[in-house]
Amino acid sequence: MSIAALVLDGPERRATARVVVDAVSKRFGAGPDAIQALEPMSLAIDGGDFVCIVGPSGCGKSTLLNIVAGFEAPTSGTVTLDSRTITAPGPERGVVFQQGALFNWMTVEENVAFGPRALGKPAAAALDIARRYIELVGLTTFARRYPYELSGGMQQRVGIARALANEPDVLLMDEPFAALDQQTRELLQEEIRAIWRRTGKTILWITHSIEEALFLATHVVVMTARPGRIKAAFAAEFSRDPDPLVTTSGAFAEAKRQIVTLLRQESLDAQRQEVNA
Amino acid sequence: MTNARRTALRNRVLGLSSFAGMLLAWIAVTGSGLWTPLVDPAFLPSPVTVAKTFMRLVDKGYQGYSLLHHFLISLMRFGIAFGICVLLGVPIGLLMGMSSAVRSVLDPPIEITRPIPKLALLPLFIIWFGIGELSKTIVIITALFPLISISAMQAVRAVSTRKIQAAQSLGASPSMIFWRVLLPASLPGIFTGLRVSVGIGVTMLVGAEMVATSDGIAWMALTAADFVLTDVVLVGVLIMAVLGYTLDRIFRVLETRVVHWSGRD
Repeated sequence: MSIAALVLDGPERRATARVVVDAVSKRFGAGPDAIQALEPMSLAIDGGDFVCIVGPSGCGKSTLLNIVAGFEAPTSGTVTLDSRTITAPGPERGVVFQQGALFNWMTVEENVAFGPRALGKPAAAALDIARRYIELVGLTTFARRYPYELSGGMQQRVGIARALANEPDVLLMDEPFAALDQQTRELLQEEIRAIWRRTGKTILWITHSIEEALFLATHVVVMTARPGRIKAAFAAEFSRDPDPLVTTSGAFAEAKRQIVTLLRQESLDAQRQEVNA
Repeated sequence: MTNARRTALRNRVLGLSSFAGMLLAWIAVTGSGLWTPLVDPAFLPSPVTVAKTFMRLVDKGYQGYSLLHHFLISLMRFGIAFGICVLLGVPIGLLMGMSSAVRSVLDPPIEITRPIPKLALLPLFIIWFGIGELSKTIVIITALFPLISISAMQAVRAVSTRKIQAAQSLGASPSMIFWRVLLPASLPGIFTGLRVSVGIGVTMLVGAEMVATSDGIAWMALTAADFVLTDVVLVGVLIMAVLGYTLDRIFRVLETRVVHWSGRD
């Protein structure tokens, strides 16, 4: 088991893909102060793919996710989901943020029921759905609590349950575990793997952790320092390994070494950009 | 007893002793019938005298009106002005926070008039609106309205875009986003503005009742000062202090009950 370099695009992939990022670029501002966040990049993501995007800070990986989510418009290119062009946020694309996106004035239950309610489900039905997803993430005993009463890890579980409750086609996750401690993160990573296997969701996951990417993804996309573009893409198989300790295997270490080598130069470049800025 | 509870208890005791200390100093300086006053009672009557005056005012009233009337009329002037400011200022502030067009129209007049001491406008208001209740209410409104509307505007603008984006990607309509996300997320900031303006509103009563009035607690204190009735002045001052304090406490309690999520993000 190891990783295999591939191009995550091309006519054949696009023919079956659900999410197609087609030559998307993003430029912030205008004139000499403009910042090119993303060079034109393309991705074709199949249904059920778990795609992790890793890259140095400021490489535009979150920008890419914001464009797929519909929060930002690309400067050029298009993103399509099932051949429909994305122009705005929508319930078929569930988003999980790093933190601070829960509604603190609602209980956990009400947070998770928000999506079904927004889609017009009656209150009782929405609550039923909410309870089911709260159970899925193991928070049943906390259903009536407020988010601010929960730990950071539990809050992320609420965020995941809330995104899942609308049964979206695609889950977009913007460094969802970056603010958590190592132990909590590892446990949640295992759980997200289980949820992904069970639901077969298509997931686009942004992270700066190579280990997280290798552990979770079917495909790892490595980005360059700003302006971001795709440096390399790999098919990874560790996510299919049922053993949570796969991260300690030699093959995993070797895969990690490959990507670290790729990313090291990019991180140095990113740092130099920051110093010169 | 946990450390936190011990600290809370200690702070409560300290707070009460600070209050008791002030009262003791007042008793000591004025003698309170126990010893010869250190200052002329005409300047500073003792707590006992003030209490007796209070009872007399409750009994006999002041200048043709009962003490309760003076109190209620002041409370009403404050209440009407405050109520109008809440009903108009909060929605206008919310609109200013949500729409840059509305903000561009309303921000300059509010910002330019904000530094003007509102009491300086009272003579003008009396010319414009007469010597009745209207000019008094308006002078309080001019003081509270900018505070309330601007704090509502800032509260809306401080709502994290992530929460809005989360709601959008959950399929919420603009009206659902307003009622269930934007408004509740702004409530803590709105409440802070209301609490600050309660204090200022009570203060503004003094100005509003300064001229062209014949009743009100502040008016009572002001006219009593003309006759050096220091004890009556102090009764009026203390009633306003208690009023301000009580309203502030009520708002604090409302704050913890209604906006329990305040500051917990």
